[in-house]
Amino acid sequence: MDCVVTGGNVKVLAKAIHSLSRIGDELYVEPQEDGLALRSVNSSRSAYACFLFAPLFFSRYTLPSGHTFRCKIAIKSVQAVFRSVATLEKTVEKCHIELDEQKNRLTFTLHCKHGLMKTHNLSFQDSESLQAVFDKDSYANVFRSHPRVLVDTVVHFPPSLEEVTVSVSDDRMWVRNHVEEEADRAKAMLTELCLASDEFDHFAVQAHNSVTFCLKELRGLLVFAESTGLPISMYFDEPGSPVVLSVTDSVLEGNFVLATLSDDPNHRKSNTRRACTPPPPPPPDDFMNDDMDCYLIAMDTSVAPGPSATGPPTPPSADSTCSKQSAAANHRTRLHSEEEEDETAESGRPPNKKFCSLFFGSVHPSSQMTTQPVTSQEVLASDSEEDGQ
Amino acid sequence: MPLSTQSQADDEQYVLVASLDNARNLSNLLKAITFKDHAIFSATPNGLKVTVEDSKCLQANAFIQAEIFQEFTIREDSVGFQVNLTVLLDCLNIFGGSAAPGVSTALRMCYRGYGYPLTLFLEEGGVVTVCKINTQEPEEPVDFDFCSTNVTNKVILQSESLKEAFSELDMTSEVLQITMSPSPPYFRLSTFGNSGNAHYDYPKDSDMMELFRCDKTQTNRYKMSLLKPSTKALALSCKVSVRTDSRGFLSLQYLIRNDDGQICFVEYFCCPDEEVEEEWLQSVE
Amino acid sequence: MKFRGKIIDVACLNHFTRVVTTISKLTKMCVLRLTPDNLFFVLSGKVANGGVGMWCELSQANFFDEYQMEGVSSEDNEICLEVTPENLSRALKTVQSAKAVKVKLTKKHCACLTIAAELPTMSSISRVVTHDVPVDVIPRRLWHEFKEPSMPDFDVSIYLPPLKTMKNIVDRMKNLSNFLVMEANLNGEMNLKIETDLVSVTTHFKDLGNPPWGDDASQDGGPSQSRDPEAMVQARVDIRKLQQFLVGQQVNPSKAMCNIVHERVVHLILLHEDVSLQYFIPAVA
Repeated sequence: MDCVVTGGNVKVLAKAIHSLSRIGDELYVEPQEDGLALRSVNSSRSAYACFLFAPLFFSRYTLPSGHTFRCKIAIKSVQAVFRSVATLEKTVEKCHIELDEQKNRLTFTLHCKHGLMKTHNLSFQDSESLQAVFDKDSYANVFRSHPRVLVDTVVHFPPSLEEVTVSVSDDRMWVRNHVEEEADRAKAMLTELCLASDEFDHFAVQAHNSVTFCLKELRGLLVFAESTGLPISMYFDEPGSPVVLSVTDSVLEGNFVLATLSDDPNHRKSNTRRACTPPPPPPPDDFMNDDMDCYLIAMDTSVAPGPSATGPPTPPSADSTCSKQSAAANHRTRLHSEEEEDETAESGRPPNKKFCSLFFGSVHPSSQMTTQPVTSQEVLASDSEEDGQ
Repeated sequence: MPLSTQSQADDEQYVLVASLDNARNLSNLLKAITFKDHAIFSATPNGLKVTVEDSKCLQANAFIQAEIFQEFTIREDSVGFQVNLTVLLDCLNIFGGSAAPGVSTALRMCYRGYGYPLTLFLEEGGVVTVCKINTQEPEEPVDFDFCSTNVTNKVILQSESLKEAFSELDMTSEVLQITMSPSPPYFRLSTFGNSGNAHYDYPKDSDMMELFRCDKTQTNRYKMSLLKPSTKALALSCKVSVRTDSRGFLSLQYLIRNDDGQICFVEYFCCPDEEVEEEWLQSVE
Repeated sequence: MKFRGKIIDVACLNHFTRVVTTISKLTKMCVLRLTPDNLFFVLSGKVANGGVGMWCELSQANFFDEYQMEGVSSEDNEICLEVTPENLSRALKTVQSAKAVKVKLTKKHCACLTIAAELPTMSSISRVVTHDVPVDVIPRRLWHEFKEPSMPDFDVSIYLPPLKTMKNIVDRMKNLSNFLVMEANLNGEMNLKIETDLVSVTTHFKDLGNPPWGDDASQDGGPSQSRDPEAMVQARVDIRKLQQFLVGQQVNPSKAMCNIVHERVVHLILLHEDVSLQYFIPAVA
C-alpha cells in the first residue's frame, strides 16, 4: 500500500483515528479495492467502529499487489503520529502512508512546514479481518441530524456516565442516563432530555423502542462528526440488537456499531424501571413521628412533556421495552474474526457484564468480505447470565 | 514594610542584595531549570548563575546578568549558597506570578552569608511578603569541560520548530538520538519506542535553521529522561543552539527574552548515553 | 409540603448557579432549607469537632420570578432537604441558555428536586431537559441542627483583601505547608504566615479596615474595647480548608470579612447584595 493524503484531509484522517481510539486499543488497517479501512473493537467486543476512506480521499492510493493484506497496530502509536491535531492543519502539508511488508512496518511520513519531515516507522502484527456485518437499512428506526444536536444533548451528562437510554415515539426522542444498580438509583441524579423530531433532518420511527448503549463511543464519533461537520445517522431496533451510528460523505464512511442492553428481564428491570414500574411505595419512614402528613407530595400535576413527568409515566416505548426478547436471537450483526486465539484470550477476561457481546464468529478468510453471516461457527455469547448474582 | 523603606543600614549587613521590578524575570528563568530541588547559586559582580544537576550527567545553568537587576550589590568577589528551588519558586510566585500587563511583583533578594537564610521581600499592590528560605553550603558543580574549540557540529534553530518535535517525542523511547551531518539527513532527532521508531528531519536550508555548521557526521544518544526537563527551557526560548563536541557531549543553549525584552541564557549540558556505539551499530540498517 | 419556583431572568439564573456552584466546592452534602422568603444552604458546623461549618442565605425574591412553597405545617412553614450541591450545580449549568428554569420538589423514584428547562434549538420546537436530583427530606425533629449559627464572640473582625490576591497567596503557601496562621488586629492589619523546616513566609496586609459591628458584637463592647489596636489575635488553620473556600467561591462579593476568635475559629463572611455566605474554619493547635 502506498497512499498520500493532503491538505485538510490529513486532519480528517487524524480525527478518525482519534475517535477510533475511544473504542479499542488496536487499529486494524486493511487496504481494500474500495478504499482504506480502519477499524477498532473494544476489549469486551461490545463496540466496533470502522472508517472507510475511498480512493478519492487520497491524492494517491495504490493497493498492495497480488494479495490482500491486513494488520493491526497499537492505536496509541498511530495517534502519536498525529499528536498535535490542533495544529495539524497549519503544519502538515502532506501525509504519506507506506507499507513495507518485508520489514513488517507501516511508515507514516508527514511533510511539514519549513521542510521539517517526520517519519514514523510503526511495527505491526498480521491480523484477522475484523468486520461487523450489519444491515442498518433494515432497522426500524432511523434518524439523522447535524452533530450539534447530539453534542448539545450529551453535554447534559457527566463525563463519568457510562450509558444512556434512548427512547422514541413518532415525533419525540428521549435521552436519559442509565443507572445500573437498583441501590444506586436512590442516590443517582437522573437527567432526561426530550428532543422533538423537528431537531432532526430525518426522523423515521417504526418501533417505539428503548435502547441503552455506551456513551463513550458515541462521544468519540461526535468529536469526528463535529470537526468534519458531517451529519450523524443513527439506526436502531430492539433492545439487545446493536445501535449503528454513521457518518458519510462522498469520500468516506464511518460506522460505529454499539451493543445495546439486552432485554434480559434481570436487566430490564433497572433499564426501564422508570418507564415500566409504578413508583415505589413510600418507605416506612420515621417521619411519621413528626408532624408531617406525608413525606412528599408531588407538586406538579399538570401535563408535562417527558415520559418521566408525572407519576408512572407511559412512554411510547413502555410496551416494547417490557416485552421479553431472546437476546441472541435478535442480533442482526455478526462480527467475524479469523483469530480463534484472540477469541479465547478475550473470553478469559471478564466481559463487559451488562452487554451481550456483539457477534463473534470465525470465518474463512475468503468470506470476510461478505455480508452474510457464517452461521456454523458463530459464537454468540450472551454475557447476561454472568452477572446474575 | 514597603521595599523602598529598607534602610541603608539594613543593607550593609548583607553580602548580596539584588532587586528586580519584576520578579518574573527571575522566576521564569529558574522555571527553565527546575528538575531537581537543589539549586546552587553563585553570584559574582557580573551577575547570578544558578545551577541544577542530575546524577552528574545533566547540568542546567541559568545566567542572569547584573544589568538585568535594578540593583545588584555584592560585597565579596563571589557569593555562593544552595537553596531548595521549588520552595524559592513558590515564594517568587507568591502573588500568582501573573503575566497580566501592569501587574508585577517587585523583588528584593538579600543574603547575609553562610548560615543565614536567603531573604526575599516581595511586593505587589501594596501587599508585602517576606520569605526566609534556609540555605546550605553550595556543592561544587560538575565541570563538563565543554569547550567551544572542541565543538564538532553546531546548529541554531528557531525554538518554535523544536517545540513541536519535543512535544511529540515518543516517551516510551529510552533515548533521544541526535544526528548532525554535513549530508542528509543534516539534523535528525530519532526515537526508538515500543511501537516503532520515529525520525524528525530538519533540512539545512529550512527557514527555521539560522545556522548550520556541521563538519562531520555524528550520531549520539542521550537519555530521554535527562533531556525531558530541557523542554521547559525550550518552551520559554526563542532560539536554541545545539552543539556537540568531539566526545559526544551535548550543549543546548537557549536564548530567552524576558518580559522587558532583555536577553538571558539558559544552558543544558548532557552526557551521551554510554552504550551508544554498539547499539547504534546494530540499529543501522 | 410543596415547593415550586421559576427563574426567568438570565442574570438571576447565572447568579443562582454561581452560588450553588460555590456551595458545591465547599461541601459534598448540605442541607437546603426553604422558607417563604429565603433559601438557606447549611452545613451544620461541627466546628468543635474540627469540621467546617457553612451558612448561606439567599432571598428568594432576588432570584425567583415565581416562588410557591408550603411547609410541613402552617406553624413550621419550612422545608428541609439534604442535597448534593454538586448535582444541583451540574443541572443548573446545563440549562444556562434556557428561557425559563423550573425548580420543584417532586416525588419520582424518590424525593427529588426536579430542575426542568426548555432549551432553545435550531428548530422551532424547544428541547425539554429534566434533571431529577435526589434529596432526603429532613424530619422536623432534626431541624434544630440547621439553625443559623450564632455570631462567634470574636476578638477581631477585619475586612479581607481582594479574594483573588488572597487565593494566589494561599495557593502557594499550601505548596509549602499544611497549616497557616491567620492573624489580624484592630488596626486593619492582617498577616498570613507559614513556617516549615525549609522556609518561613509571611504576607502582610494593611489598611484593610475593621467593620463596625453593633453593640451586641464583642469588638466594640465589653472587654475587647480596651484591646490594643496593634495586638494580633491569631488562629492556626488547616490550609486546605481555607484554600477550598478561596478557590471555590464564585460569589464575587461586594464585601468580604473575617472574624477571628483567638486560637479558636476563623469565621469568613461574604456579602453580595442579596446573598450572604458564612464559613467557619476551626483553629488547630
